[in-house]
Amino acid sequence: MVNKNPAGSLSAPVRDRAAVATLKAKFQVQNVALVVAFFVALLLVPLIPGFKGWMASQAALVVVYILAAQGLSILTGYTGLVSVGHGGFLAIGAYTAALLVKHANADIVLSLIAGAAMAGVIGMLMALVFLRLAGPFLAIGTLGFAFFVGTVVNNVKFFEGREGISVPANHALGLPVGDIGFYYISIILLALVTLFIYSLVRSSVGRALKGLRDAEKAAQSCGVNRLLYRTLAFTISAAITGLAGALSALTTRYVSAEVFGDIWYSVDFLVAAVVGGSAMLMGPIVGGIFVAMLPFFLEKLADFAFILKGVALIAVLMFAPAGVCDVIARPFRAWRRRRLERAAAGEEPVRREPPVVALEGKS
Amino acid sequence: MLSQQIISGLATGSLYALTAIAVVVVFRNTRTINVAQGDFSMLAAFFAVLFLKSGMNYYATIAMTVAATMLLGIVVERLVMRPIADSDWLTLFTATLGVYYIMHGVAGWIWGRDTKAFPVTFDPTPIKLFGTIVSEGHLINMAWAAAIGVVLFVFFKFTKQGIAMRAVTDDPETAKLMGIPVRFIVMLTWGMAGFLGAFAGILIAPILYVSPQMMDEVLIKGYVAAVFGGLYSIPGAIVGALMIGVAENLAGGYLGSHYKTATAFVMIVALLALRPQGLFGIQKRREI
Repeated sequence: MVNKNPAGSLSAPVRDRAAVATLKAKFQVQNVALVVAFFVALLLVPLIPGFKGWMASQAALVVVYILAAQGLSILTGYTGLVSVGHGGFLAIGAYTAALLVKHANADIVLSLIAGAAMAGVIGMLMALVFLRLAGPFLAIGTLGFAFFVGTVVNNVKFFEGREGISVPANHALGLPVGDIGFYYISIILLALVTLFIYSLVRSSVGRALKGLRDAEKAAQSCGVNRLLYRTLAFTISAAITGLAGALSALTTRYVSAEVFGDIWYSVDFLVAAVVGGSAMLMGPIVGGIFVAMLPFFLEKLADFAFILKGVALIAVLMFAPAGVCDVIARPFRAWRRRRLERAAAGEEPVRREPPVVALEGKS
Repeated sequence: MLSQQIISGLATGSLYALTAIAVVVVFRNTRTINVAQGDFSMLAAFFAVLFLKSGMNYYATIAMTVAATMLLGIVVERLVMRPIADSDWLTLFTATLGVYYIMHGVAGWIWGRDTKAFPVTFDPTPIKLFGTIVSEGHLINMAWAAAIGVVLFVFFKFTKQGIAMRAVTDDPETAKLMGIPVRFIVMLTWGMAGFLGAFAGILIAPILYVSPQMMDEVLIKGYVAAVFGGLYSIPGAIVGALMIGVAENLAGGYLGSHYKTATAFVMIVALLALRPQGLFGIQKRREI
C-alpha cells in the first residue's frame, strides 16, 4: 500500500555525480512547476465564460473532500497509522467555525483558523488515548470517536441537532465573500495545505515519521521519539481535516447533524486517500475528486454510485495497491530513471551548471 | 425495573455477540477487520423476508437464509479476499469496505432505502419469570444465541475442522506444514462469518426492521465487543458484547435513550486506555 521507494536508488555505479545531481534538480523543478501550473490553472477557471456560482460552491465542496483526504494521508501515507474517525474532526472544525460566525460574527479567516485549531487540540487529546493502540485497534477506536462526535452533535441542545445551524453572511478581512470568493479561498487553502505537506514530508519531521512507518524499532533506536512524532502527526492531520470542515460550514453556510453526524464521512476520506494513493502529493487530490464527484454525477442513482465506489475500491486494491496516482506516475518515473541511469553512466548530455541546491541523498 | 433492564440488555447483547464473534473469527484467521460483516446480516434479513413471503415456514427460512449467507461469505472470500490475502491489514480492511459499498448498493437498488417491517414478530405480551417481566422475543433471542454458542463450542473443541481452524489462528505457517489446508480453513472462516451474520440478521430484523443501513450501528458495537476480547478471544468478545448490551440499556433507561450509542464509545475508550490488550489479554502478542 505504501510506496516506499518513490525516487529509487540507481543500480549501476554512478560515474558522473554532477550530471545526476543536475538532472535530479531539473526533475525537482519540473515537479514544482507542474504543481504550480496546476494551481494557477485552477485560479484561472472562474474567468472562463459560463462559469456559474453554483459550480464554484460545488468545487469548494470538492476541495473540502480533498483537504480532509490530505489531512488523513499524513497519517495513512506518511505515518502508517489508520484513522477511521476523521469525520469527527471534520464535524469539530465545521461546528467551531459555524458557531463562531453565528455568535461572534467572526471573520472567515479567523473562523477557518479556529476550526483547524479546535480540531487540532482535540486531535492531540485523542492521540494521547489512541496512540497506545496499534493498527486495527486504532482504526476501531477512531471509528468509535467519530460515532461519539455524531451522537453529541445529534443530541446536545447547543448544536441544534438535525435542525442545524444557519451561518449568517460571511466576510473575509472585511470584504463580503460570495460563491466565487469561496472558490478562491478554497483553492488558496488547497495550495497552502499542499505546500505544507510537501515541506513537511521533506523536513526532519517527515523523515522521522517515515522512519517510524518503515522500521519503527530502528527509528526509535536512532533517537526518534515515537510518541512525540506520532502525536504531532495526529494533531496536524486532525487540524487539516478540521480546516476542511470549517471551509465546508462556511461555504454551505449551514451545519447540521444530518450531515456531520454521519460516520461514513470518515470512511469516504479513507477511500479517497487509498484510491488516489496516500503516500503521494497528488494522491489525495485525485482520490478526493473521485469520491466527491461520484455522488454528484450519479445523484439519481445513489445506489449505483455505491456499487461503483465499491468496485473501484477493490479494483484499485488489487491492481494498483499504491493508488491510482502511482499507476499514472509509473511510466514517467521509469522514463526519468532511465535518464538518470544514462546520466550516471556519463551518456546523457546535461547542461553543466552548478546545482543551486544540493539534492543529493534526498528522496 | 433494574432486573428487567438487565435482562433486555443481555438479550440485545447476545445479538451483538454474534457479530462480535464473527469479527473475531475472521480477524484472527485472516488479519481482516471485516466491514462487510453487518451486511451479511443485512442481506440475510432481506433473504429471509423473500423466503417468508414466498410461503416458507420460519425454520425452513432460517435454514435457507443461513445457507445462502454462508455461500455469500465464501464467494466474498474467493472473489475479493483471496487474491489480496498477502497484503497488509489496511488493504484487507479497505477491500471489505469495498464489499460493504457493493452490498449496500445492491440492497438499496433492489429493495430500496426505506425501512421495512419483518414479517415475523414476537408476541409482545410480557411473561413473568422468576419475578421479572420479560418479553418472548428477548427469551427467544437469548435461546438462539446460547444454542449457537454451544454449537461453536462443540465445533472448535471436538470437530476436525474446528481444531484445524484454531491451529490456523495460532500459527498459519506451522498449520500448513502439518498438512492443514489453510486456504480451505480460511474459506470456512468466511463461511462461518456468513453463518453468524445470518443468525444475527434474522434475529435482529424484528427489532430494528429491515433496511440497507440496519446493521451499521450494530456492527460498531460488535467491533467494540470484539476489542474487549483483544480481537482474539471469543469468550472475551461474548462478555464484552453482553456488557455493552447491559450498559447501554441502563444508560438508555436512566440517562435517556440518546446516550445509548455513546455508551459503547465511552466503554471502548476506558478499556483501551486501561487495558489495550483487551479484557482477557491476548495469549500471544502478534506483530501487526
